[in-house]
Amino acid sequence: MKVLYSQIKELIPGLKATPKEIGEALTLTGFMMDGFTEISYKGKKDYLLSLEIRQNRADCLSVIGIAQEVAAYYNLKTIIPTVKPITKNNKKIDIKIEATKEVKRVLAIKIDEIKNTESPQWLKEYMTLYGLNSAGLLVDLSNYVMMLTGYPSHLIDFKKTEGTIRWTINNNFNEVTTLLGSTTKLNNDEIIIRDDNNILALAGIIGGKTDSIDTDTTSIIAEIAIYDRSIIRKNSRSLSITTEASRRLEKDLDPNGANYAMEMLVSLILKYAQGKIVSSLFNYYPKKYVSPKIQFNKELPSKLAGIEISPKDTLRILKGLNFKIISKNNKLTVIPPTYRMDVVLPEDLAEEVIRIYGYNRIPTNEIPKLEVVKNITPKNIILSEKIRDILTVLGFDETLSWPLTQEGINAEAKYSDLNEITTQNSVNELFPNLRQSMTTGLLNQMNEYFKKGIEHIDIFEIGRVFGEKNNKYLEHDSLGILSATKNNALPQFKDKIESLLRLIGFENVKYFESKSKPKISNPESCWDIFVNNQNIGIIYKLAPSETKLNIYLTEIDVEKITKILTSIDNNPVVELTQKLIPLDVNIELNEKESIFEYLDNLEKKINKKNIWSINITDIYQMKGKKRYTLRVTYEELSDKEAKEIHLKTFGLNNI
Amino acid sequence: MTEEQVKILLEELKADLQSAESSAAITKLWHKYFSDTGSFKLLIKKIKDLPIEEKKTTALIIQQAYKEAQELFSEKEKSVKGGEMSGSIKSQSEDINPTLSKIGHLHPISKTIREMNELFVSMGFSIMDGPEIETDEFCFQRLNVPADHPARDMQDTIYIKEPDFLLRTQTSSIEAQVLAKYKPPFKIVCPGRSYRNESVNKSNHFVFHQYQGVVVAEKANMKDLFGTFQVLFKKMYGEDVVTRYRNKYYPEVEPGVGPDMQCFNCHGKGCPLCKNVGWIEMGGAGIIHPNVMKMAGLDNKKWIGFAFGLGLDRWVMAKYKITDIRTLLGGNLGYKYYENESII
Repeated sequence: MKVLYSQIKELIPGLKATPKEIGEALTLTGFMMDGFTEISYKGKKDYLLSLEIRQNRADCLSVIGIAQEVAAYYNLKTIIPTVKPITKNNKKIDIKIEATKEVKRVLAIKIDEIKNTESPQWLKEYMTLYGLNSAGLLVDLSNYVMMLTGYPSHLIDFKKTEGTIRWTINNNFNEVTTLLGSTTKLNNDEIIIRDDNNILALAGIIGGKTDSIDTDTTSIIAEIAIYDRSIIRKNSRSLSITTEASRRLEKDLDPNGANYAMEMLVSLILKYAQGKIVSSLFNYYPKKYVSPKIQFNKELPSKLAGIEISPKDTLRILKGLNFKIISKNNKLTVIPPTYRMDVVLPEDLAEEVIRIYGYNRIPTNEIPKLEVVKNITPKNIILSEKIRDILTVLGFDETLSWPLTQEGINAEAKYSDLNEITTQNSVNELFPNLRQSMTTGLLNQMNEYFKKGIEHIDIFEIGRVFGEKNNKYLEHDSLGILSATKNNALPQFKDKIESLLRLIGFENVKYFESKSKPKISNPESCWDIFVNNQNIGIIYKLAPSETKLNIYLTEIDVEKITKILTSIDNNPVVELTQKLIPLDVNIELNEKESIFEYLDNLEKKINKKNIWSINITDIYQMKGKKRYTLRVTYEELSDKEAKEIHLKTFGLNNI
Repeated sequence: MTEEQVKILLEELKADLQSAESSAAITKLWHKYFSDTGSFKLLIKKIKDLPIEEKKTTALIIQQAYKEAQELFSEKEKSVKGGEMSGSIKSQSEDINPTLSKIGHLHPISKTIREMNELFVSMGFSIMDGPEIETDEFCFQRLNVPADHPARDMQDTIYIKEPDFLLRTQTSSIEAQVLAKYKPPFKIVCPGRSYRNESVNKSNHFVFHQYQGVVVAEKANMKDLFGTFQVLFKKMYGEDVVTRYRNKYYPEVEPGVGPDMQCFNCHGKGCPLCKNVGWIEMGGAGIIHPNVMKMAGLDNKKWIGFAFGLGLDRWVMAKYKITDIRTLLGGNLGYKYYENESII
């Protein structure tokens, strides 16, 4: 919303503040000044303030509304320009309101003998300042009234209409040509103004071409209508047409104020275009808007602000904003002016008081006095932070990537049985699906690094992955890790992953051939990772690619490991009173037997209480089988005891 | 035992020492002469068996010879081991690699979140997150944004299944989740990702990072909110940071607050970075709207709260001098070998 400094001054005769000061005051009270320009208007130096109106304040999309805000802030009075009441006439206009749910109020009047000339210089200048093209006297006056009062009006060239003018829901026009000449397809559910044959306007948004004003116009119907704001918003969005009118009518515009705007419009048309009123004022207003009566505790502003705001100040501010105050039996009832349709609760009133009193009067340098409360941080958040720490220490860089992926990518990388989730309306249509794996982002990052000549690539990401199952949308945090090197380095990669898992608290990490191998994996090098007998993720080598790099990936379900971790009680500390006893054993497995499974069974068989470690120290390939040398290191046992256990465990006679 | 025999033994030792050139040979000689069964040790042991008349003179001879033998031995041992050491020092020496080794880095977004989390945790806040696929109820309705509310225009929504399922447009949805699930009092911060249906270019992205804070207690007010912000801004931007707090509309709060920071680039004079207004908008905040509390089933008379939400991406971009928002989530973010960040 733009406002001219000179107009504000005109409306508030006692105002001494400079244009900049006014801009700052408005910014503090809720209307941020996002533009300030020195201009020339009516031959004098002036200033144009541009303000952001975020709130449901249709009244402040007008010069008068902004002036009332400024006056309240400086504790001054606004003098609203007086306009002549509309003279009486008994001739009725042929108007019907059929869309009774959507239309709150319609005012309309017929004016004849109009001379629609060029606008006077001041009006042309005014239009330019507001970013509007001068479109002849009548249209410019209509726009001028809108800027001043906030009420959009619509002028219909009466001679171009046929029959009854109706406010109705469109059910038979498939398109409309607007007064700007562009044609828009309609959905057949819009609120429109029409006559017997043509569509005259998209109500509350823009006039139609059929009845538009031109230099030959001599007879008009001027109308101001207020609608249920939601239909204007819906129509404006579905037709992708936003206008100065729709911006105002999408907010709650006070139907009661329409009279004043109509009187101003009519008096200006009579003055500048020399018209004559030839009808009575059509006034459809079935349900008059009445302001709520709000019970108000004078202490509330102080309670919310945290500073003392005296009842005297509170009352002064509310009165300055034209709120009516009734005090009875020591209880306050506050009635907002009808143009303040945004104020319905005591808290709304408190905000009014505090913002005018000044947010800048609330100290910022005091340490907040907040209650001591229980820590409710979920464990997965703490764990994710720990994972980040460990991985960076292990030399991995953290990356972040897009959670949306291209078509086909999920099918390549996923290893779960969840269905893909697709967005319905993403403007980034090349990336319609929610990722099911962290690996795609890591591979993209790796490719970028590779293209840029970065050789040493160790990266990770913790992020959300998504999937659908049984009509439920599921998501969880997932950790993806990637290592790319020129040499074979799976054991080193596995060691790092295992270091991570063991540093976060798992003592028992196992690997089994993967049951669901991602398409991008080398199927000969793909394992599920198990801890505490639960599958927590996957580790694999990527199938050979053009980069000729050896690429290793792992993905771990962070939520799953959080759940497992919270259920185990680890204690890696021992009091070592005797030396460790390493004893070797050779085992032979045929090619179908898995060493992972052998070790898993072994761990089940032995009492881990006295085991310090089990390592593979040698692998010897034989015909059709492999011989592994295992070194089992025993703790807190005598040589004899260790040997006995060792022989028994492996079914040996002697070492 | 004669003096002659002692002399012979000493000569034998000298000859042996002469030919010993390695540690192993020296150890062997130690066993031969000085272990419990070694020749000199046996000599010493024999002293107690000597006849009284010999004890004085012979013992002295033996002890002197033993002392001399020990001195000869340790002298030789020193010279052999010393020689060997200088040899192995050379053969086993390694050069240090003078180039820098690779270290891991946290992403700037994570780093910033961590700095903020540390501050809030020190103030007794918990850290929370919530679902990224949200329902209309938690993303909008429970935050006082009913269907067809104009505030929905501020946030173009990416839908999974219109109208009920969507990607959260704001981390305020976590606030709605926490208000519904936890009993007050609580103090939480929620760093997280939000999604809006925007084309991706240099300054806009469909996914961005926010930092939400919520306090619900028996007593909380705007002064506490401003104080909390001030502590945060000072931590992130230094003691000299200049801030202002203004009234700003958000449907989920009443009164609403817009915290601004004086532009660090132009110090309030106006520049392209701050769009010539001298201030940078940091986000939104306010006292939690009574309708939001009511929808969460919280007694408005007993509980009061404040909430705030900050955009993280621009902070991070300014701090790390990143000019293209796509870099934060794309392939152009690299970590230099040669520059580290101080941890204090």
